[in-house]
Amino acid sequence: MSIFVLIPLCPLIAAVVLALGGRRWGDEGHRIGIPAMGLSFVLSLYAFFEVVTSGPISVSLYRLIHVDSLVVDLNFYIDQLTVLLLVLVTGVSLVVHVFSSRYMIGDPRYNRFFAVIALFTFSMLMLVMSGNLLMLYVFWEVMGLCSYLLISHSAQRKPAIQAATKAFIVNAIADVGFGFGIILTFATFGTLDIQTILAQAEGLQDHTINLFGWFGMEYQIYPIAIIPLLLFVGAMGKSAQLPFHIWLPYAMEAPTPVSALIHAATMVNAGPFLLIRMSPLLMLSPEAMTCIAIVGGATALFAAMVSMVQSDIKKNLAYSTISQIGFMIMSCGIGAFAAALFHLLAHGFLKAFLFMSTGSALQAVHANHHVANHYSSHSTPKTTLYVGALVLACLPPFVIFSGPYEGLWNANEFGSAKIVFWLIGLATVFFTAIYLFRGILFIFQHGPTIPAVGKAGTVTIQPQLLSPTHVIPLALVGGVMAYLLMVIWTWFVEFLSPALPVSPLPDVEVTALTASSWWILLPLGVAVGGWAYAMASQTTKSHMHSKEADWKKALYVFFLHKGYFDEWYEVYVVQPTLRFANWLWRTVDIRGFDRMVHAIASTTLALASWLWRVIDIKGIDRVIVGVGASSVGLGQWMWRVMDIRWLGSNLCQIFKGVDAAGQVIQETESRTIQHHLLVMVFWLVSAIGLLYVLV
Amino acid sequence: MTIFTEHMISWMVVIPFLGIALLAFARDQEWMRRITFACTMVEFGVALILWQRFELGTQGMQFVERMEWMPTFNIQYAVGVDGISILLVVLTTLLCPLCVLCSWQAVTTRVRAFLSLILLVEGAMIVVFTALDLFLFFMLWELTMIPMYFMIILWGGPNRIAAGIKFVLYSLAGSLLMLVGILGLYLEGGHTFDLMVLSEQTYSSNTQFWLFLALFLAFAIKMPMVPFHTWLPDAHSEAPTAGSVILAGVLLKMGGYGFLRFCLPLFPEASATFAPFILWLSVFAIVYGGYLALAQTDLKKLVAYSSVSHMGFVTLGVFAFNSQGVQGAILQMFNHGITTAALFLVIGQLYDRTHSRAIGDYGGLHKTMPRFVALFFLFSVAAFGLPGTCNFIGEFLVLVGISDTSFAMVLLSMGGIVLAAAYMLWMLQRVALGEPNTKAAALLPDLSRRELATVIPLAIMVLWIGVYPGPLMEMMDASVSHLVQQIETSQANLANLQSSASLN
Repeated sequence: MSIFVLIPLCPLIAAVVLALGGRRWGDEGHRIGIPAMGLSFVLSLYAFFEVVTSGPISVSLYRLIHVDSLVVDLNFYIDQLTVLLLVLVTGVSLVVHVFSSRYMIGDPRYNRFFAVIALFTFSMLMLVMSGNLLMLYVFWEVMGLCSYLLISHSAQRKPAIQAATKAFIVNAIADVGFGFGIILTFATFGTLDIQTILAQAEGLQDHTINLFGWFGMEYQIYPIAIIPLLLFVGAMGKSAQLPFHIWLPYAMEAPTPVSALIHAATMVNAGPFLLIRMSPLLMLSPEAMTCIAIVGGATALFAAMVSMVQSDIKKNLAYSTISQIGFMIMSCGIGAFAAALFHLLAHGFLKAFLFMSTGSALQAVHANHHVANHYSSHSTPKTTLYVGALVLACLPPFVIFSGPYEGLWNANEFGSAKIVFWLIGLATVFFTAIYLFRGILFIFQHGPTIPAVGKAGTVTIQPQLLSPTHVIPLALVGGVMAYLLMVIWTWFVEFLSPALPVSPLPDVEVTALTASSWWILLPLGVAVGGWAYAMASQTTKSHMHSKEADWKKALYVFFLHKGYFDEWYEVYVVQPTLRFANWLWRTVDIRGFDRMVHAIASTTLALASWLWRVIDIKGIDRVIVGVGASSVGLGQWMWRVMDIRWLGSNLCQIFKGVDAAGQVIQETESRTIQHHLLVMVFWLVSAIGLLYVLV
Repeated sequence: MTIFTEHMISWMVVIPFLGIALLAFARDQEWMRRITFACTMVEFGVALILWQRFELGTQGMQFVERMEWMPTFNIQYAVGVDGISILLVVLTTLLCPLCVLCSWQAVTTRVRAFLSLILLVEGAMIVVFTALDLFLFFMLWELTMIPMYFMIILWGGPNRIAAGIKFVLYSLAGSLLMLVGILGLYLEGGHTFDLMVLSEQTYSSNTQFWLFLALFLAFAIKMPMVPFHTWLPDAHSEAPTAGSVILAGVLLKMGGYGFLRFCLPLFPEASATFAPFILWLSVFAIVYGGYLALAQTDLKKLVAYSSVSHMGFVTLGVFAFNSQGVQGAILQMFNHGITTAALFLVIGQLYDRTHSRAIGDYGGLHKTMPRFVALFFLFSVAAFGLPGTCNFIGEFLVLVGISDTSFAMVLLSMGGIVLAAAYMLWMLQRVALGEPNTKAAALLPDLSRRELATVIPLAIMVLWIGVYPGPLMEMMDASVSHLVQQIETSQANLANLQSSASLN
């Protein structure tokens, strides 16, 4: 039993105590949640140093399932990848806890909130620590449940509960892929232990499985090629990739700290985590890798463009997350797993920060989230927001195009696709820069003051014009940060390399910094270009709409409606399913099966009444009645005809007749009588014999 | 003491009947309820002792008792449990006290009769799950129907008479076929009803075919498998809460138990012949039941159709013919017994308050009934097999088991799970969340202590089995692997025979 068990256990205990305690604790839920998370965070740091010094740790708790060949333990595997995520998750969660303890004051379900975010954190921690796929799947789902509970936090609001159901069901659909992948994995490897699977994967590349083994059909597949794809389908759901992305923008119905948690630490990060965890397996399936890269790239670009035209800042941020995660997925797809993880960590911390700063800004205004109406309170750390935005915009290109992976483009089969991914990457950076800076400009700089009623009374917000002089220091800060990131990055790649597949690079050059520093400049330049565009469009904003070309307007409308994904799903998936269900019930089940049963019943009844009326009344009964009537008739006839006098007068004659017959018999030869008797006996015996044989 | 330890199962059979006798002396309704509750709790206690004394790793029958009953026809009173039946015995005794608790205030007319019926059905079910003699099994199988019929027609909902008659006639049709099957076995298997003797013999494939069919139809109706399921929504929705709990929780399991106890070991060959058909029917049932549940507007009917879907997993696992599948199926029966019974209990608690089962009459309960909503939520997510709750383990095992046969079935069944998530969450959304749809729904009081006591044991079971199913699975491991081995050898023999026949 290792002390690291406490990392997930602390939040779990907090969650259970809060859930059972309910209102007994008053509004003091944070007093339990924060220390638990703090302890968890400290232990995560400890685990981090432990792993740095002495490598991966595995802890086995107990045997969950043991049936025949299927053995699943509840075990943890803590390696370089896990500890990084542990630190991220516990860190962000701790900050979110602290933030919520103020943000959620006055909420009627204060303690429930803390219970569920603790459970949420717990399941994410368990997920990243899982040593086997089943456990990973279990907590993958539990996390989905927690997100459901949190999104429906304000349970009387219809949009919130619809968003919650939507999030869960979209994820459930995607998880069919994941679950199926797990079962296929078991069928292939005979185990679900991740490290064993990864170790065996290479040897089983030529293994085939008959996927459709019924009706004698043969359809052989290579499970090693298919499994990554199936796992990726699960990741698409959790990480809100096209076309499963629709739940994330709606998840904004949750209180802001939850959004921070979902976007930064839990939920969406699970997808890239899964891909990185299974990366050695992924590398064996070029088809899956290509697919992953395409989906990731498409999502990144699409979401960035949608984000650009949204006017609701929370939607804005949601699509920005989708876009960033898409970028990570794309990085995974082209084999840059370390880059993806680096991006994930940086994005996690930054997004959490962004959410909480917008959250406090929004709380100050306490109304809807419409960008144009919003101004920050004094308390919002503006400059840091700028830096955050800058880093967020520049990070993806930085990691993706940075030195070590430059070789990758040519090393893999993606040489020809290189340009496309390049363009997607740069375009995403460009759009990201635009929407981020535009959002910030809107909030802090634009328009007249509306007194916003915050907690501290009326806050007057001063419009602050962003002078070009701000740009230069920011650029400098950016440069310094890029350099710092470079330094961290080189260390990072080295640190992570044991957790990743056999490094795609011949040797991880620490000299990456010098070799490819100019690569950084290009995306940075693109980002600055986006920023400049945002600034420019800001100033000339008011008269722009009328002058736009039609196709531009159409595009604008298309992206404003988020590509009509929601409408499409509603019309082609949700409604038909419900209609089909209704039809199935009313037509097939009630009119079909049930009526069949009723038909049997009514036929039986009809038969019974026919039997009664026709056979019984008309047939048997009439016969009986007939027999009765005729016997009465016979009796009457006999009484009338053969009355006593007639009988008496005839008796003499009868006796005479008998006498005559006796004489005839006497006259007949006795031999003849014997003969007759013999024949009769013979027939009797044969009849009995026949009966015996027959029966 | 020995009279107790050597006749544990007989005690379990006798205690409910003693309870009925005691009820005759009780005058006060409150005392009647107390006596019945005490009786069912004692029964549960005995079941726990049975559980505790059960020897793990033994495949055969334990606690066997035999007595001549009608020697002329070789009919015995023979009972015993193995790893397969002990779970169902425990489930039965677990649910019956809860049935008494849930009808504490709900049933106020003819209390004595109602409580006697609960005890009667409990005693009968114990025998059904432990009988080692086919005649005894058949008698008590029939006997379970009578109390259920009266429960439905006397204490049921507005449409109770039709539902009760439908239930009885449907079941009777099934048991008639079973009687034919059992008599056939008697004649073919050397004039005995003893299961142990019968299962040691082999039957010709033609005999197997017909006898399997007769028994299969009987069990399929009880189960119920599509297309024999139409009695279930009516009976479930019209029965009083306790009736629904017993029906869904235990009576449906008699079908699955019958497959495992009779069809598989006695007719392995015919089982293999019919397996593809049954498996596809099960997959169809899973998806079909899911769609039907999605269309419901009546809470109880929704749960009833979800049962159709869940029982599909049971048949799927049973006819996968491997340890994972069979263990998954048994676990699924046990878990379904817990979650569906719990769902009927909580829905019953709502019904007690408003006398309405329509989903549209509720809404926004989270505000006034937080405890209720928490429990309702837990059971609903457990019902669609959320990982971490009990149903997941069973469904996962079944899916792993069936993946040996066909991946397409795995995929389709998983589609059924998505549907389950959809209808359960949608129902929750309409019942528990949002704003109240009626004035009454806004005023409902939260659960009382008695009501909490009714469902909290089940809530604990749901989570406990979900994270630590080990003890349950150890329990059945030996018996199931023996069963699977038995089937495998006979099917292998069959394959050998066929191949040698084709060589000749």
